[in-house]
Amino acid sequence: MLIRLKLNGQLREVDTAPMRRLLDVLREELELTGTKEGCGEGECGTCTVLLDGEVVNACMVVIGQCDGRDVVTVEGLGSEAHLLPIQKTFVTEGGAQCGICTPGMLISAEALLRRNASPTDEQIREALAGNLCRCTGYERIVASVRAAALARSSGGAS
Amino acid sequence: MTIADLASVPFERAGDLASLCARVGELADSEQPFVLLAGGTDWMVEQELRKPFAAGAEPRVIDVSRLDKLREIRLEGNVLSIGAGVTYWEMRNSPEVRAHAPLLERMARDVGAIQIQARGTLGGNLATGSPAADGVAAVAAYDAILVVQSRRGVRRIPMSELQTGYKASTREGDEIFVAVEILLPGPDARWYWRKVGTRRAQAISKVALGGVARVEAGQVVRCGLGMASVAPVTALLPRTRELFLSTKLEKIGPVQLDKAVDSDISPIDDVRSTGEYRLHVAKSVVRDFARALGARV
Amino acid sequence: MQADKPDSHVVGTSVGRSDGVAKVVGTARYVDDLPKRPGELHGVTVRAPVARGTLRAVKFDPSFDWSDITVVQAADVPTNVVAVIAYDQPVLASTAINHAYEPIVLLACADRAKLARAKLAVHLDIDPLEPVLDIQTSLSDQNVVWSAPDGFGDKGTNVMKRYLITKGEADVDAEHARCARVVSGTYSTHQQEQLYIEPQGVVAWWDDDGAHVIGSIQCPYYVHKAFLKTFGLDAERIDISQAVTGGGFGGKEEYPSIIALHAALLAKKSGRPVRMIYDRAEDIEATTKRHPCECEVTTGCDADGTLRVLKMRVLMDAGAYVTLTPVVLSRGVLHAAGTYRWPTVQIEAIAVATNTPPNGAFRGFGAPQTIWAIERHMDAVAAYLGVDPMDLKRQNLLVEGDTTATGQVLRMSVSSTACLEGGLSAARYAERKRELDLENQARAQRGERKRLGIGASIFMHGAGFTGSGERMLKGKAALDLLPGGGLRIRTASTDIGQGTETVFRQIASDASGVPMEHIDFAVPSTKVCPDSGPTVASRTVMVVGSIVERCAREIGDAVKAEQARGGGSFAQAGDRLLTKGPVTVLRQYEPPDFVKWDDTTYKGDAYPCFAWMCDVAELEVDLDTFEVEVKRFHIAGDVGKAINPKMCLGQLEGGTLQAIGWALSEELVWRDGLIKNPRITNYIVPTALDAPPFETALVEAPFEFGPGGGAKGIGELPMDGGRRRSPPPSSTPPGSPCTTCRSPPSAFTPRAWAGRSANDNLPEGSQPRVDSTQAQRSAA
Repeated sequence: MLIRLKLNGQLREVDTAPMRRLLDVLREELELTGTKEGCGEGECGTCTVLLDGEVVNACMVVIGQCDGRDVVTVEGLGSEAHLLPIQKTFVTEGGAQCGICTPGMLISAEALLRRNASPTDEQIREALAGNLCRCTGYERIVASVRAAALARSSGGAS
Repeated sequence: MTIADLASVPFERAGDLASLCARVGELADSEQPFVLLAGGTDWMVEQELRKPFAAGAEPRVIDVSRLDKLREIRLEGNVLSIGAGVTYWEMRNSPEVRAHAPLLERMARDVGAIQIQARGTLGGNLATGSPAADGVAAVAAYDAILVVQSRRGVRRIPMSELQTGYKASTREGDEIFVAVEILLPGPDARWYWRKVGTRRAQAISKVALGGVARVEAGQVVRCGLGMASVAPVTALLPRTRELFLSTKLEKIGPVQLDKAVDSDISPIDDVRSTGEYRLHVAKSVVRDFARALGARV
Repeated sequence: MQADKPDSHVVGTSVGRSDGVAKVVGTARYVDDLPKRPGELHGVTVRAPVARGTLRAVKFDPSFDWSDITVVQAADVPTNVVAVIAYDQPVLASTAINHAYEPIVLLACADRAKLARAKLAVHLDIDPLEPVLDIQTSLSDQNVVWSAPDGFGDKGTNVMKRYLITKGEADVDAEHARCARVVSGTYSTHQQEQLYIEPQGVVAWWDDDGAHVIGSIQCPYYVHKAFLKTFGLDAERIDISQAVTGGGFGGKEEYPSIIALHAALLAKKSGRPVRMIYDRAEDIEATTKRHPCECEVTTGCDADGTLRVLKMRVLMDAGAYVTLTPVVLSRGVLHAAGTYRWPTVQIEAIAVATNTPPNGAFRGFGAPQTIWAIERHMDAVAAYLGVDPMDLKRQNLLVEGDTTATGQVLRMSVSSTACLEGGLSAARYAERKRELDLENQARAQRGERKRLGIGASIFMHGAGFTGSGERMLKGKAALDLLPGGGLRIRTASTDIGQGTETVFRQIASDASGVPMEHIDFAVPSTKVCPDSGPTVASRTVMVVGSIVERCAREIGDAVKAEQARGGGSFAQAGDRLLTKGPVTVLRQYEPPDFVKWDDTTYKGDAYPCFAWMCDVAELEVDLDTFEVEVKRFHIAGDVGKAINPKMCLGQLEGGTLQAIGWALSEELVWRDGLIKNPRITNYIVPTALDAPPFETALVEAPFEFGPGGGAKGIGELPMDGGRRRSPPPSSTPPGSPCTTCRSPPSAFTPRAWAGRSANDNLPEGSQPRVDSTQAQRSAA
């Protein structure tokens, strides 16, 4: 089945079996390996992407459901040369350690900041509760999101 | 065990509700296995766990995730109708739900985490029939009516007549859930939601209780209860409800209440919890609900 | 100005992680992200479905098309042993099945869907045998399920390893009889899964140069050693390198040898590259976990609380094979006395075999189990004496000049008091205790069903290998001078998230004067990097970091000397040196001279130094559901010298949350030796909403032999704490925080709840015993 989708801002076509998971098509056909697999059952959140602006687990969406829709992965945030505030602060504040949860964590965090420019810590924790991290204890991640919110509000947003 | 063979599963997209009903009828007649796929929060997990399909035994998947007709939230008079394809995230953010059925908004916050809320639907949880579904327990508390549709027409099933056993229901093979209707209990109604899982998010309930009641002069005059994960079906706690409706709140005692819960459910041990713990917590949260209504238990 | 101050001074600053940008833009390549190699196959493992049995036959369904499936069985393995410590574990089981999920057959195929069907077409004909599944049954030796290889364990029993530590009076029982207060208790801890978010995985292939593996690997040289033994290859024909690794916590210390051997066996037989990536269920079922442990403790003290004697027996469940158990047991026993002064000590430690998957490395490595026991026991002693536990701990705290259980005199870098007082005062421990008591009284009056509590613990963790370990290991590191004045660090110390790469670059920068951005970190690989010893035991920064520092200083000095001789910039001077040939400094670790350790008596300097930490937790307990919420968490942790303060916070907080998860929600459910919850949905680790806000203070008590001005190892330290719970007695759920670490709410039964007496915070039948004769005597 030919699937047309907007992927990280660009129109893409992919001809594949419609029941394959969005996660597999992203990683294999579209060579976007930033989106990771940690459990395959919607628990760990490391495959989090935006689907029409909503945070979803790419292991629970089949590619046939994505025809005509808008998908954003970690590669669609900022590039190395133009990092978004949330990407910068995950580096400077210690939000990323082993980094395997980071792509999904960034997607959830960016989605939060887009709907709520100055979230409370509790709101940050709720927004990230679907993304498991085993390294940080989450405090540095919450600090990273807080710092990104500040950077965005002071015009640091790109 | 594998999801690699999903690629061999036939997929089609539902056009509109009428053609979907026709298609489902056709598949039901031919006894071909099929699945209506919305958010996939239950079904995709099963795929991860199942053994490979025998050749030719794959079910046909029909994507209903974009059927607009299933995604409406409508308020007509004092009936709130929530489409079967409405996600928990949409429920949380719906002004109608927030204003008129706040229990549903509160419950929706406790479903998985945002990724699950953004995909999971009431219709999906009703169709898969898991007794652990928070959403089903919550609508049960409103004495919801389930609207099902087939090529034969529309039928309304009271929640109390839906579930007949573990993942079994009175919905016919060619019927699909289209909406959940709630007769609103009024702005002065009390509502209660308590989910007990092992963590604050991404938890499957060990026990969850939804309760709705109207109290007039110390007497409960409307009461609905729905409890998750304590029985093969969503438990409606009929004897407990009867106790609330038949007895002045001040006359309801803890022992009486515990007895009613005891007679309503016999939860079992599983990998998440024990029957003993569940029964204890079930009694505790029912008491908590009763206290919230003004009983001294 | 710069010429005057050549040092860049990045040590002590929280520079962002060197690999951070790749991780936030999604270009960091973990093993499953590596491009497919031409002809690559997927590999899977067929595993034993029972805990113990005899494999009679392996049958391959004749109706299945096996033509494009590579099959490997025990007979295909050149030397069928996984080389770790003892050589008792086969790469593939041939006849004896000693634990569920033991690997038996390997399959590879290009088509993953077909591979899944092929797995079902392999039939194992097994005669089941009665398994041994717990410590006490194993210890009884009624069913001996393990045969000791030469030099290991007690012949004809299930005992794999024993240690004995003694100090002071020879007759501990007589010493107890002389004490005013004697308290006994038994404390058990359950298994814990590392649950790194990236499952185990490798890619293996063979070519004219030999065997190649790249994967999610904590210790490339462990895999190298395993290949030497199993394949009988020359060392230089084995190339093991690390892909970006998504967490390890010990779980990728010894286990990767097995998955790497498996993939390489399939690759060898098929002549194709083979990728093996475990799914989550297989990862939880088959790989190592934290050892279950039981500690029997009897202590004696004076009426005023002065501790006099500790008698302890530590029992650990090793699982079916030795793997790293002797070392885990060792670290456990060396930390068992806690951070207290005991004039007389007798600690016996025993590890036994069971028919469960081998338990192995997990952050803390045996110490969290024994430290938990001693901390709980100290609480019990305090309760008996009627004093605050922290007062009792303060009174008996090891300070500089004191002697540990192994007779080690604490000479330097002792921060016990700083951590204890720092943690308690930051958390306002004493005031909060009073405030919470008042709040609880008010809640009780209002009929509310939640109560608050506060508790604290103090603990220490030894850094680096035990005793003579570092001397025997001879860890090495190398630095190369690069054209243009840059450096390259070559060590086998992997960055698995903890920040090795960044911290080594900081250390090398300050030591050499070369700016961080001109310092490369070579991917740890056995072809390129010398054996620095494994990335374990809180030794990476303190031990390997100090070799890096020395190499960097030597290279920097050499270039500066050339600069002084011939002028020009640092880079120009370096380039001049390079015209004469490569400039590389390779150095071996030299442990401080004072470290003296006797492996036969288990006496001496167990570790060159210790790091201390104090945790203070505030909790809320639901009296109806027994749910526990951690509301606040204060940490005062000693890191020696913080090379990168934010990374130190990340280590201390992350390790603490693992400890909290272990106590409150993480639990493997076993039935007949099989795991019933091998999924993230029901092996429950904390989410961001479950984690408390951490307020962490770094304490710096520099260790003069540590790099960067005194850094100590801290990787494991936080795992030793985090589990101290002290809700008010009237609200403590029974069965829980007291004598078993396992305390997810459903572990509490209403029956036990109802059966407890009002003033007793310990579950019936499991209270620490108070010796009444002693109590009477002290009263008399």
